[in-house]
Amino acid sequence: MLKKITVFILLVLLTGFLVGCWSREEITQIAIILGTGVDWTADGRIRLTVQIAKPGSFAGGAEGGGKGREPASWAVSAEGKSIEEAERYLAMRVPRDIYWGHCITLVIGEEMAKKGTRIVTSFFLRDREPRETMWVMVAKGEAKDVLETHSNLEKTSAQAAGLLERMKTGYSVQLREFAEMLASKGVQPVVTRVEVKEAGVTPGSEQEKKSPAHKQVEITGVGVFKEDKLIGWLDAEKTRGLMWLKGEPMEGVITVPSPGEPDKEVSILIRRGKTKIVPKYDGKSLRFDVKIDMEGDMVEQQSLEDLAKPEKIKFLESGMAEEIKRRCNLALKKAQKEYAVDIFGFGNAFHRKYKKEWRELKDRWDDVFRQAEVNITVAARVRVIGLSTKRADVPEK
Amino acid sequence: MLEQGKIDSKQAIMLMLSTILPTAILTVPAVTAKSARQDSWMSIMIATTVGLLIARLVVVLGLRFPGKTLFEYAEEILGKVPGKIVGLLYIWLFFLYIGSGVIREYGVFMVTAIMPDTPIIVFHIVGVAVVAYMVRNGLEVLSRFNQLTIPTTGLLAIVFILSTKDMKLARLLPVFDAGPLPIVKGSVAPAMWLGEIVTFAMIIPYLIRPREAHRVATLSILLCSFFLTMSILEALLIFGPNVTGHWIFPAFNAVRVVSIANFLERLESVIMVIFMLGGFVKLGVFYYAAVLGSAQWLGLKDYRPLVLPVGVILVALSIPLWGENIVEVLHFIGQVYAPFALIVLEVGIPLLLLIVSLTKGKGGESDA
Amino acid sequence: MIGFRKPIRAKTLGRGSQKSQGNIEGGALSSVSLKNLVLSPDLETNLRQIKTILDRCSDVVYREFVFAQNEEIRLALIYTDGLADKVQVSDQIMKALALEVAMAAPGQEITKARALEFIKQRGLCIHQIKETNKVEDIIDAILSGDTVLLVDGHATAIINGARGFETRSISDPEAEPTVRGSRESFIESLRVNTSLIRRKIKSPNLKIESMKLGEVTATDVAIAYIEGIANDKLVAEVKNRLGRIKVDAILESGYLEELIEDNPFSPFPTVNHTEKPDRVAAMLLEGRVAIVVDGTPFVLTVPNLFIEYLQAPEDYYERFIFATAVRVIRFLSMIISLVLPSLYIAVVSFHHEIFPTTLLLNVAAQREAVPFPVFIEVMIMEMTFEILREAGIRLPRPIGQAVSIVGALVIGEAAVRAGLVAAATVIVVAFTGIASFTFAYSASIAFRLLRFTLMVLSATLGLFGLVSGLAIIAIHLCTLRSFGVPYLSPLVPTIGADLKDVILRAPWWAMFSRPRLIARQEQIRLEQGLKPSPPETRPKGKG
Repeated sequence: MLKKITVFILLVLLTGFLVGCWSREEITQIAIILGTGVDWTADGRIRLTVQIAKPGSFAGGAEGGGKGREPASWAVSAEGKSIEEAERYLAMRVPRDIYWGHCITLVIGEEMAKKGTRIVTSFFLRDREPRETMWVMVAKGEAKDVLETHSNLEKTSAQAAGLLERMKTGYSVQLREFAEMLASKGVQPVVTRVEVKEAGVTPGSEQEKKSPAHKQVEITGVGVFKEDKLIGWLDAEKTRGLMWLKGEPMEGVITVPSPGEPDKEVSILIRRGKTKIVPKYDGKSLRFDVKIDMEGDMVEQQSLEDLAKPEKIKFLESGMAEEIKRRCNLALKKAQKEYAVDIFGFGNAFHRKYKKEWRELKDRWDDVFRQAEVNITVAARVRVIGLSTKRADVPEK
Repeated sequence: MLEQGKIDSKQAIMLMLSTILPTAILTVPAVTAKSARQDSWMSIMIATTVGLLIARLVVVLGLRFPGKTLFEYAEEILGKVPGKIVGLLYIWLFFLYIGSGVIREYGVFMVTAIMPDTPIIVFHIVGVAVVAYMVRNGLEVLSRFNQLTIPTTGLLAIVFILSTKDMKLARLLPVFDAGPLPIVKGSVAPAMWLGEIVTFAMIIPYLIRPREAHRVATLSILLCSFFLTMSILEALLIFGPNVTGHWIFPAFNAVRVVSIANFLERLESVIMVIFMLGGFVKLGVFYYAAVLGSAQWLGLKDYRPLVLPVGVILVALSIPLWGENIVEVLHFIGQVYAPFALIVLEVGIPLLLLIVSLTKGKGGESDA
Repeated sequence: MIGFRKPIRAKTLGRGSQKSQGNIEGGALSSVSLKNLVLSPDLETNLRQIKTILDRCSDVVYREFVFAQNEEIRLALIYTDGLADKVQVSDQIMKALALEVAMAAPGQEITKARALEFIKQRGLCIHQIKETNKVEDIIDAILSGDTVLLVDGHATAIINGARGFETRSISDPEAEPTVRGSRESFIESLRVNTSLIRRKIKSPNLKIESMKLGEVTATDVAIAYIEGIANDKLVAEVKNRLGRIKVDAILESGYLEELIEDNPFSPFPTVNHTEKPDRVAAMLLEGRVAIVVDGTPFVLTVPNLFIEYLQAPEDYYERFIFATAVRVIRFLSMIISLVLPSLYIAVVSFHHEIFPTTLLLNVAAQREAVPFPVFIEVMIMEMTFEILREAGIRLPRPIGQAVSIVGALVIGEAAVRAGLVAAATVIVVAFTGIASFTFAYSASIAFRLLRFTLMVLSATLGLFGLVSGLAIIAIHLCTLRSFGVPYLSPLVPTIGADLKDVILRAPWWAMFSRPRLIARQEQIRLEQGLKPSPPETRPKGKG
């Protein structure tokens, strides 16, 4: 027993002597990166921009109050041949250890995306610190500009961008999903597009003095990739069609003409839906039957008529189906005819059904897809019409 | 007898679970998914069948020689010299190899995924020191410690449930994509891991009710393959077959993805703790088998003097035996060691022993 | 926990020290030579002998007088002033013998030869008397508070059980306060303590065997158990371990605890102690053995299992749902008190990825101005806390308040304001401190020690170090046994039926059996089917 204790004490002492070595990184010694951006410079180098949190301005309670006005982050860039090299150059500028574990967003600059994103993703997937759940975006213009904005509501623009993605207002892509799309032949990647735009003002007495309006990150559709290279964009309207065809997420708002007064609009909020892709292949011609089931709530009407009647609802539903189909077709046309890439995952659906044929077709899938016929049928339903039947603000006839 | 302690059947099942699972969950999904892709679960099914057969073999052998371990009845069946050679084979190629392999895998995991700046040898030494303390106190303490820590495995199931949000069943389709060959190839590694049930041969004599050995072995294999399937499915359903095959520790990456309500996330440390506790037990079982086996091989009266030297050997072997870097380790496990151990040590020799003992008519009446 | 030591201090002023003084100073005659001495028929010789032995013991009183009915018969009373009940000695013995005997039995001629028998039969009005002719017994009786009567011409002394020394009255348990349940606490007198146990268990099977331990102090020790419930082997083992003890003094049950425990180097105590009679009674009913030591209110119980630290007496008095909920909390605080500071160190200095982003930024902001690594910071705070805690116990009561105010101010406010520690660290340390008081004090000492070890480990190797440390503790707990019972049972080895009283406290009507590994015989505690149900009150016929 005495021996055991001795061994134990020795062990503790031995390890005790080593305090302060190795992987220990005090929280005050790390530079917490919240967002990062990668650009391809004109002279063919990689520029890494990072947005580093300034802990001092995050303090809650008594001490933090005074520093509230100070910007909470610091954006700094460096160039190099590879991302790691750029990071090393950054390290000469940043007096702390660069820590990726809490990086929320990865913004890829337009030029970089055109050059090829596999150069970028390798580092973030291989290194243990960056997480697979990081949001990937592609910037219209330079990633640097995106990271140099700051948010009015959140502390930093990286956090704001991350929350925008999390709400899934656009098509949001995590790094792991991006990697999966890159690794699959049955689908081509799409990545959220972000832009820097003027976004509102902060009301207050000093507002008049500050001349330019506040600039902030905004989601404006998606970038379309062929393999790992950016080849074009879809705007916000077509993105919705893309999302419905991909089957997630389905939420969104559409407007349809009012049954009795076709020049007035009715807004419908789509709550949930399901997309099913059924491929048909007979050796030569390829057809996809896409069935979309949608369920929405009527939330607004511009017309004055009473919509709380079964036949009017039927009419609304058919209008809704029409509109959904139109927008899906818009996205489909653009992808099929203009970009000639399968960004919807039709290839995967085909693979699931025709695994032998897939082996022959997979290497020239985008060509095959280009000629494929796609039939979209939409079944739409309205379930809820809000708190009133007739409009409450229209007098009885 | 060298070991005074006895364990009951429940403890034995749990012990076997910890003997097989911890490293299996860590390594097998990647190895299997690389060749069998989305059909990995079928590979596990094949492996389970093989595992069940091995378990049967070991228990039948063990019950023919009640109260004796592998080392003792090998000598009785084959005669003194060949028996000693077989014993040496197991000590060296099985218990010490896998023991040091466990250490290495954990060291690699810690260094790659958790603490990259710490020298790997530190993890090896600390790990072996902890386990040596356990082994020194014998089988009873080993199985009690296991009993204490095994409920943490339940957390794995919770993590699995939490990550269903990110899963898509479509990622498993199409079934039977690449044909049967890759599936069989993919089943070698899990079969080797499930075949580690051979270690049970060292524990059968210390069961309170040896009659239940069959049930114990079968249940252990089934439970193991259940958890193994779960961990493979988790990775496959989250990442799809294309990405899963390329991770080194797919289960670890899968856990990193879990995020519930912006709060229940970043659970990989939980997984690390489970892996570590399981790793201690797994190493403990092989370490114990090596120590006990060596003591019987050398004809010692007490195994305790061997604990320290065997521990030193384990640490010393952990680096050179399995290759210099992670690439070599993975290659060695997947391409060299797994097929060899499966064919020779887990099936070949036990089968040989059984056949010889049957033809020579050695061994008591077995009720199997 | 403040004032925990007080009963012990009270005890050292008691009988123990006086007695040892007496024996040490009269120690010219060692106990070995005393052993063979017997009385002689001559009173003078006897008195001289006793006076020699009790030389310079100023508290021993010798009172010589004559018998009322025959003045030739000389008598002598010897007792220790303060230990014997003076009223009884003067009224029931002296007055009776010197005056009243003659009135009670007038005209009887008592010869010297009949004197002893007569005094025994009619003379003494004392409830308990004993005869002896050994000097050793006489000395022992005198020093224990009995009154010895020597009769001239007889080589036999009468020991009168007229003890009457000052004892503390029974008060609230100070170390184990409870909201519901018995408010009695043991005191320093062995007899009172055994009576408290006997009052709870009025069964002839409750056996209280006594022995004397300590060469100099000759402390009374009683072993209590319930025959038929307690394992015979256990009782024999306890007697055996106690019998082996050869020490000069037993001043507190802690002396015994260290001499009989299974693993003296373990930080975990394998002998439990309590000052609550109801708790001892419950332990006895589970088949444990209690060791009552004279001079301390703390009664030892063996075997002691780890889970006992999670069980409080109230658990059994409150309704079971509430008791279970509280136990869960206690269990969680046990874990917190062991690992929280080291977890904090590991996360802040190694595994930043565990924190959610916002929390990480918050903690980082707090730590921005702190000049120390987090390990040093936590260490400073923990040490401060420990010092304050110790000071709180040692301090004379009136200043206690002052210290707690200063401590709270120093630790809480000033240190954070001065930028010496982060607010998060204060929260962690304070929470840990509070959590460590939710379960048994003796275990919390062990946890406190181990906490520091774990802190060092996790400052070195992060979570890996922490988990390794925890594994070693777990292995150690697995190896421990208390009087042959695995320390962690019924958790491991798992005993299904006994899990009813670990985290979950089953309702009383479901506690069918006693703990299996402790009570080997007579395991059934109560009849099945005691679950209460409302009587059939539904009216028959039309409602």
